[in-house]
Amino acid sequence: MSAVRAPAAEPPVEAAPAPARSKPPKPFDRPRFLPAFTAVFFIFMFAPIVIVALFSFNSTRSLQRFEGFSLQWYQRFLEDESLRESLMASIQIATVTMLAATALGTMLAFALVRARSRWAGSANVLMLVPLVTPEIVAAVSALVLFTQIGMQLSLQTVMIAHVTFSISYVTVVVRARLAALNPEVEQAALDLGATRWGTLRLVTLPELWPAIVAAALLTFALSFDDFVLSFFTTGESPQPLPVRIYSAIRFGVTPTINAIGTLMLTVSALLILLAIMLPRLVGRRESGLGVLVGRESA
Amino acid sequence: MKESGEAIRFDHVTKRFGAMAAVDDLHLSVRQGEFFSLLGPSGCGKTTTLRMVAGFEQPSEGSIFLEGEPVEKVPPYHRNVNTVFQSYALFEHLDVKDNVAFGLKRRKVDSGEIRERVKEALELVQLTGRERSKPRELSGGQKQRVALARALVNRPAVLLLDEPLGALDLKLRKQMQVELKGIQREVGITFLYVTHDQEEALAMSDRIAVMERGEVRQCGTPEEVYERPDGPFVAGFIGISNLLPATVENGGVKLASGQRFAAPVPGECSDGSEVFVSVRPEKIWLDEREDGMVSVDGTIVERVYVGTTTQVIVELAPDVRLVALEQNAARQRSDDRWEIGDRVELGWHPEHALVLR
Repeated sequence: MSAVRAPAAEPPVEAAPAPARSKPPKPFDRPRFLPAFTAVFFIFMFAPIVIVALFSFNSTRSLQRFEGFSLQWYQRFLEDESLRESLMASIQIATVTMLAATALGTMLAFALVRARSRWAGSANVLMLVPLVTPEIVAAVSALVLFTQIGMQLSLQTVMIAHVTFSISYVTVVVRARLAALNPEVEQAALDLGATRWGTLRLVTLPELWPAIVAAALLTFALSFDDFVLSFFTTGESPQPLPVRIYSAIRFGVTPTINAIGTLMLTVSALLILLAIMLPRLVGRRESGLGVLVGRESA
Repeated sequence: MKESGEAIRFDHVTKRFGAMAAVDDLHLSVRQGEFFSLLGPSGCGKTTTLRMVAGFEQPSEGSIFLEGEPVEKVPPYHRNVNTVFQSYALFEHLDVKDNVAFGLKRRKVDSGEIRERVKEALELVQLTGRERSKPRELSGGQKQRVALARALVNRPAVLLLDEPLGALDLKLRKQMQVELKGIQREVGITFLYVTHDQEEALAMSDRIAVMERGEVRQCGTPEEVYERPDGPFVAGFIGISNLLPATVENGGVKLASGQRFAAPVPGECSDGSEVFVSVRPEKIWLDEREDGMVSVDGTIVERVYVGTTTQVIVELAPDVRLVALEQNAARQRSDDRWEIGDRVELGWHPEHALVLR
């Protein structure tokens, strides 16, 4: 519309394709097959999960035919003391891992960003090693270490192993945010009369808060459903839930497994929801999840 | 506010980063209530100087006095100065009101007074009504105002401003210059203002220190540094200076290209000394003259239309050029008068030719 009334200053080349006005120009970079492609992707990704969840509510043992709604498999799960203990064990492990790894990883991020040591460069790279080490290697080395120093395998050894490999995740997330923090912001706090400790408490940590929350939830989720490390470092009983499920499957898959899977899925989904909601509840417009997936606030 | 004393004194202050002296033997005194600018190109040490006053850098040698007290041992959070940062450095997680109240809360001012002073400060910078906005919701100019209010609300002895208008567009910058000057007059706080923009410094300052490579080349009122620059650097940095190399001859000067004319040669320059001659463009007359004027011939090589004026670039000899200004007043348009390639006569009063060395 405005093109018609465009000032004379506009070059005539712009005005030339006026006859094609009825048909808006095709937006660049948006081929028609993309919605279909996206739909197929989501079907492949979510269909198995939906089926698992669906059959956890089946009234019979069948994993092929849905024959009516029932909560019996959830009831079975809750009545099974060893499964319940495993669930509690996994929650414990994940909670301890989350708290310890978030605290340690955040401190490491500060050291890596702020330290002006000539080793800082190497430390920054070394820190990434746990992320690319095959988990089986980490698991075996942890196992060897624990047995060599004569440590009894237990939930504590699982926790130590989990904290060790989770620190890197926290550091990566928090370091990015910290490095992006304008040093003048902290100087402004000092300038306005905040001590160094006050600056950390009132300015630096609040600025890092979304990243820290995101990192904490990420480590909880990673630890909660981790299998390999847990399998190698756990003791006899109670075992973490994923390890316990694995042993249960050896005696045949029952819809109880589906029920456990659905519960774990719910926990993870709640965590993600929390990651999105929590920063908003404390009055932020950006979400922890946004930080996690690299969507920086505008 | 009357200038009653000394707000800041730099006593032979040197700051080295490694082998490089960012600030070299700085000796300056800023009066109370003054709008004082540190002007210079990037890397001249002006920001380092400011940061030493704020306490973010320590002088390698010498001392800084704030209201007569040495401040070396005082950490930034106990200095009675506040800074407006170039990047604004607002606290993104706090709204406008809490940003402005931050300093007062740290000093345990009681909440009723905080509310009152925050309100006043926001009125001063015309941001009433935006108390609850987050910094991300504000425009660049508004962020700048918040940063200013956040610093001023503490009523510091000195307000330090580090190129505060650098990120704004030209029009807003001009507007903020006028406002800043007005605010400074209203609150009567000493402003130490760092800028590389000579027009900005001329427009706002009571006094300017022109810096180059860590040293102050000249310190004076805007008029002094513009009309009577101490040397070629100051003349060249401020305004269009028409700096021509020349030698002193018989109490006048001789340009490298051969023209001779009368000029006020300072006493310490004897015949034959190498100097620079500077004539400000607005002091040059084109094809007009008065009695007692110096006159030089040249060829017009370029005309640059800049709105209210046209810059006429005249070549006296190969590579010896002068810029003259022609007012684009209603009665005449310079493009009717001269074309590129025309011969013109340049004239100026001898006292407007500065001989610098």
